[in-house]
Amino acid sequence: MAEKENKKTPDVQNWNSVEKVIFERRSVRKYRDKQVPENLIRRVLEAGRFAPSAGNCQPWKFIVLRDKEMINEMERDVIRLCKVFKFLMDWRRPGLIGKIAWLNAQVSIRLMPNKLHPIPFGAISLIADGKLGVFHGAPTIIFILKDRRGVGNPDLDCGICGQNMVLAAYSLGLSTCWIGFAILLAYGPKWKRRLGIGFPYELVEGICIGYPVGNPNGIIPRETHEIDWYEHGEKKTMF
Amino acid sequence: MSYLNLIERLRIPTYDNEEYATTGRVRIDHEKCNGCGMCAMICPGNALYIAGEGKNKKAYLEKDFPQCMSCNNCAAICERDAIIVNVTYDFGYFYKILHRGEMKPPRKF
Ligand SMILES: Cc1cc2nc3c(=O)[nH]c(=O)nc-3n(C[C@H](O)[C@H](O)[C@H](O)COP(=O)(O)O)c2cc1C
Ligand code: SF4
Ligand code: SF4
Repeated sequence: MAEKENKKTPDVQNWNSVEKVIFERRSVRKYRDKQVPENLIRRVLEAGRFAPSAGNCQPWKFIVLRDKEMINEMERDVIRLCKVFKFLMDWRRPGLIGKIAWLNAQVSIRLMPNKLHPIPFGAISLIADGKLGVFHGAPTIIFILKDRRGVGNPDLDCGICGQNMVLAAYSLGLSTCWIGFAILLAYGPKWKRRLGIGFPYELVEGICIGYPVGNPNGIIPRETHEIDWYEHGEKKTMF
Repeated sequence: MSYLNLIERLRIPTYDNEEYATTGRVRIDHEKCNGCGMCAMICPGNALYIAGEGKNKKAYLEKDFPQCMSCNNCAAICERDAIIVNVTYDFGYFYKILHRGEMKPPRKF
């Protein structure tokens, strides 16, 4: 496991090994040019296989990508699509084009308020301009496909499955980053055909895995969230 | 704390406008920073840059609408404890942040 003395919490709290993995894991966006041994990826996939799922329906399928050429080609295609989106929706341009883009953006955001939340909206421009990577040079990528026939809410099951893999990977000394932008590949027929993605499967997320540059993991502060707590006939609010 | 009123629900903020959106901000301690560039390398928002020569090489936050999402990945990678988020991001109206408190490291209860 990656060890780094944590400077932010001087009274080094002795977290148990699971807490330590959960608190120290960071998303990593710069990887060393070194492939991860196959057996480690298999161990990560095993952690995914044992995730809980509604009705034990296990509504997932994995695709593992370790072919550099293929990953580069996917990266190029996602960038190209981001350029198209940026062209259609970036209103920071003068004249009529800017006005049309503004209208496009306002309509699209209302139709897709989650996908076009300000953070991904900004990220589309960054990716289009080459300022943010897509797969970040990671040597291995796992795609999680959802079986649309799953019980209840199969997207949620896929998320739980992915988090199992992300945490297992960190515990094995690997770093990861979820790649939501991978789903852009499933917007057109090319990659669906090439990867054989069809009913009942749908691409939901990608996770890239590799060895990090530097030591990007560690404990950091995050926002506290309001918690409503009901007990003994009373409501308490805490953070 | 309150939720959104109707106007807020219907109004989508203009992202690149400081009036409607507070981006995340970081505090950089230039006494400690040696300009190694790791924070700028890891930053998902491209919000940091390195400027200066030799001893004066330091990290800076973009002046013009830094797309910082207050992830603190820069704080995690900095070996010198020189950088940390001090303002968290918040978008106005429909996307305004609800029911959150100040930033804290994991606490042991
Ligand atoms: C579902 C999901 C999708 C994500 N997609 C991306 C992505 O496309 N690109 C990226 O750089 N980071 C992506 N992330 C990583 C988040 O930005 C990151 O988890 C967040 O900033 C918190 O930082 P931490 O993981 O270091 O705690 C994604 C995370 C999740 C959970
Ligand atoms: S990682 Fe730390 S020391 Fe290096 S440039 Fe960034 S703030 Fe400065
Ligand atoms: S908090 Fe995250 S987005 Fe903001 S400057 Fe640091 S690394 Fe970049």
